[in-house]
Formats: sequence, structure tokens, C-alpha cells
Amino acid sequence: MLAKSFQRILRISYRPALQRLLSEKRAIGTESLDGGTMELEDSVASFLSSKVMIIAATRDQTLKAHIGRGCGAFFDNDAGDVVLLSSASQWPEFFACAVKGAPIAVTFVEPSSYKAIQVKGQINQVVPATSEQRERAARYIEQMLPLMAGLGVNRLQLSTVFADDALAAIRFWPADLFVQTPGPSAGEPMRRIG
Amino acid sequence: MTNVPLETLRDSFEGIMPSVIATTDPAGMPNISYLSHVQYVDSSHVVLSNQFFSKTAANVKASGRATLVVIDGRTGLQHVLDLTFERSMREGEIFERISAHLDVMAGLQGKSDMLKLKAVDIYKVESCRCVEPVAPLQTAPQAPAVSRNLLGEAAATTRLFSEMTDAETLLDRSLELLEQKFGVLHSMILLTNETGSKLSTVASRGYPHFGFGAEVAFGDGIVGIAAQRRLTIRIADMRRGQRYVSAVAEAGRPPQEEIAMPVIDQPQSQIALPLIANGRLAGVLFAESTESFAFSHDDEAAFEILAAQIAAGLAIFELADASSDYSDQHPALDGSIHQGKGFRLRFFPHDGGVFIDNDYVIRGVPGRLLFHFVQAYLQTGRTEFSNREIRRDRSLNLPEFKDNLETRLILLRRRLEERGGPVRLERPERGQIRLRIEGMPRLVIE
Repeated sequence: MLAKSFQRILRISYRPALQRLLSEKRAIGTESLDGGTMELEDSVASFLSSKVMIIAATRDQTLKAHIGRGCGAFFDNDAGDVVLLSSASQWPEFFACAVKGAPIAVTFVEPSSYKAIQVKGQINQVVPATSEQRERAARYIEQMLPLMAGLGVNRLQLSTVFADDALAAIRFWPADLFVQTPGPSAGEPMRRIG
Repeated sequence: MTNVPLETLRDSFEGIMPSVIATTDPAGMPNISYLSHVQYVDSSHVVLSNQFFSKTAANVKASGRATLVVIDGRTGLQHVLDLTFERSMREGEIFERISAHLDVMAGLQGKSDMLKLKAVDIYKVESCRCVEPVAPLQTAPQAPAVSRNLLGEAAATTRLFSEMTDAETLLDRSLELLEQKFGVLHSMILLTNETGSKLSTVASRGYPHFGFGAEVAFGDGIVGIAAQRRLTIRIADMRRGQRYVSAVAEAGRPPQEEIAMPVIDQPQSQIALPLIANGRLAGVLFAESTESFAFSHDDEAAFEILAAQIAAGLAIFELADASSDYSDQHPALDGSIHQGKGFRLRFFPHDGGVFIDNDYVIRGVPGRLLFHFVQAYLQTGRTEFSNREIRRDRSLNLPEFKDNLETRLILLRRRLEERGGPVRLERPERGQIRLRIEGMPRLVIE
């Protein structure tokens, strides 16, 4: 049900903002998105799970923000959740605040173009990653390293950026989506669910 | 409280790896984004560029707090900084430095239409903690136990400068000493032209050709921006610019008839330092390397000492030359006037431009000087001239003596030498110029 709701809202509410982005040649999606052949919701979902850098923030009781980095992410169609994979041991302060019901913000950035979206929501669940998710994280690292190398960022520089030790999966329902590609429209909401 | 001293994190503030900033809105929703520029201010402050992140700005305005993660581009180590907002600045040295750096990087990335920097924000660093690597993909090699004594090297270099007695030696030896003392393999000195709109290469070292006379416009690339803003600009790692081009080549991309700027293939780090003495910009000292991180903060400080010495030296030599009473030589005649193949020397009075046949030679004051020498030669057969008479000759439209006649003569002589004839200049002794011409020149005033 959540999945249907997400997709429906994506279809209805995302399109104008995304089309505007496309028309400004600052599309957030992948090649297939640029080609305009994929469904919108698929494009957003595929962007989250594509070769993007992932940064995330939670906050504590005093509203101080805590930063973590993602090691892969995907949209769970069935549950309607965004699933963020991250190292609990590498980012202990971030994970201390990553509890059910807590707010979370995650930004996905395509490194070659700086195209970025930020997704915000409320955490549904934080659990140790499954073996399938650990494999996904390993694949993510394998894919990101050469991609970043091609952009001149070496393995040493990324040595603690991509961490999959004590990998955990943070599930949250995406309540807000924002364009974050640098430029005048950065921070512009793509939609708001009331 | 700062746990890790910010001084040990200087390499994390190079803009090599983007930093991350997180804030929280009054309702408790976090916000996270990348940040283009974080710079060290002092042991308890950093400055952030405030360009695009309006939500971050709104949250900081409401809460006064932000959390930052920075990465050391040399080691891959990350640190978390808890920040408290102190103030915004729209002018001043820190603002100008960040603005100039962003403009150079925007030019490199072909994004010169990026929004200009509006303000920078100063934050107090409440705490700085290392993100301990739990399973690093790679470990950085151990840093050398003994670091270079750059202050000592700068002192030794300036002592050598003090022994020099003429501008030409200073120009060449300073680049030579940059290599010997600091390992700088590619460097050049460019001089400001008389209108303050361009810089011309007068000395270079470590390039396939010297490129004497090659020009960069003020405001173009790292050299032009360093000149225009009178600020040192250092790019530690050009890979982030994604385009392996020389900033100088980019800036000085010459029309066909102009002189090619000396370049190296894949510069990874560059530094440009304004040469300022008596409040006047004389030019720019530029250095580059094929290695990333070739120039550190400490190198920058050492080079700034040298740049000040070079600028002061040039000014002193110029003053000494202008006030000297080297006697005018009796004009010598040259019997070779009719020898060799003839050529056409075209002069453009509006900018002092000189072409030999169809090839661009030089413009500005050096161009006017060249025209003057050749014209006098054709009229009287003279080949000997003196700095003194040039300074007196109002027809040359020379600016006042302070405008570096001596260095412009050096530039002209070198340009003609690199060009390889048919006109050359020699300096038989201090304050004297000897014209060497092969063939019969025909003057054309355009």
C-alpha cells in the first residue's frame, strides 16, 4: 500500500519539477532518464540505487545533527521504503540517533555531474544488513571506486568513505524530496506529503 | 572544546574532497549537503562558503549550529567538527581569498557562469573528532618524521637574492632557486604591462619553450586572477577540476598570431603569487607541478616571502637604473645594414604592436622600444642606445621611470632571442643596448 502511494504521488507530484530539471539539462536521473523512456518513479528509484555518493544525517535529542555515509541504497518497491546501507561501526554517532521514529535526511549525488536529490523521512527500522544487502554494498564499493578513480579521486582518499563494516540497513518512508543540484534551484522541494 | 587541533587538519581544508555539512530545522528534521569550501581561519575557527545551500543557511540562522565532516585528501582520514555560527562576511581578506579560489576553480570546470560568492560564514569549532577508520580500504603511508625547514630555506634564498645586482639575474636565479631549494620544476615570472591589463612572461623554467612575451589577461585563470585581486592563489589538487588542462594555457589561449604560453601536460597543483612592492603590482610568480599537493600551506608562506623579495628587488634595480648616470655612448654605426635578406617590420601605434613580416613579435612598451631602435637605425645607422636616453625620449610615450623600463628591455631582448632574428638586442654593459639586425628592414606604420 505504501509502495502504491509512493508511486502514485511520484507520478502526480514529481513530474513538473523533474520535467523542469530535464528541460534545464540538469536531470537527476540516469541515462535512461535522460532518454525519457522510463517511468518517473522508476527513474527516481533507480537514481537512489545507481552509482551515487550517499551522505546522511540524523539528529540527537538536543537537535544536533550527526553525519554518516551510505554504502549503497535502494528503493524497496514492496514496502515503499528507501533502504540506506551504512556502516554502524564507522558512524557510531549517526547510528546512535538512527532509531525507529527518528527523522533522517539522505542526499544522493551523481559524482560526475553533481546532480543531487535529498530525501527526508522518518526511520521505520534499523537492522543488521542481510547477506544480500552486504553483497549489494560490496558491489557498490566495487563500482564506485573505478568511477571515482575516473574522476581523479583515488582509493586512499576514499578509504574511509566507503565502509561496509557492521553494515546496517536503515529503512525510512520518503516523505520529502528536494533538488540539490548546485544552482539557484538547490533546495527546491519536489514534493511534500502532508 | 577542540579535541584534535585544527592545525593538524590543514590538508582537510584544501577543497580536494568535498566536505559535508548537516543541520537541523526547528522541527527537528535534519538536512545534509555537500559543501564546496571550508577553510581554516585559526585554531578555533573555520570559514564556509555560503553559496547554494539555502536550507542549511535557514537552519543555521535558527539554531546557530552545524555539523561538518571533512576529509584529508592525502590520507583519506575524516574528522567531525561541531560548529557554532559566529558571523557572515561579504568582504575582507578571507572573503576575497575564497572568492578568488572559487573563480579559478569555476574557470577550470568551465563553469564561469556559476553564481558568484555572496558571503562567507565564520564558525567557531566547538569540537573536532577523528572518525576512526574501522576497516579502511587503504592505509596512508607514514608521514616523514622530519618535515622540511621551509623558513630556513626561504631565509637562505633571500640571502642569495640580497647578493644579486641586476634584474635579469634576479629573474632567472629566483626560478633556479625555487627548483634547488623547494623542488619546483616548472615556474615562471610574468610582468604587468603598462596599462595594467595584461601580464607578459619574462622568465620561465622547466617548460618545452620559454614563451617570452606570452600574455595572460588580468582576471583570466589562476595567474590573471592572482594579479587582478592581488592575492596568492593555490590549487592543491586540480583533479577536482576534472579537466587536465593548464590554467595558464586556458587563460592565455592565444589567437594564432600571438605567443604560446609555456605549459606542462597535466598540471595537478598550481600556485600564483602577486609580486607587489611599494604598493604596486609588478607581476606574478607562478609555479606548477604534475604532482598533487605539491604546494602546501607552508610552501605558500615561504613563496610569499620570496615573492615579496623578488618584487622589492625588481623595484630597487629599476630605481637604481633610473637614477644612475651611465653615460650615453657615442652612437655606433653598423655596416651590416645592407647585408642579408630584407624584411618588413610593421608597427601598430595604437598598442605598440610589432610584427616582422606577418609574425607577431611583441606589443606595448617593448614594441614601442623595438620600433624606436629600428627607426633610429634606419635614419642614422645607430646601433647603440642607452637606458638613459630612452627615459628622456618623450616620443616613446613611455610611462614614468617606475614602469620597469629595465625589465621591459629584458623581456624584449629575450623575446627577440627566442624568436631567432632577424632583429636582436644585446646588453654590452649596464644601461646600454646594442641592436643587431640581419638584413634590410622596411618600416611600415599601420
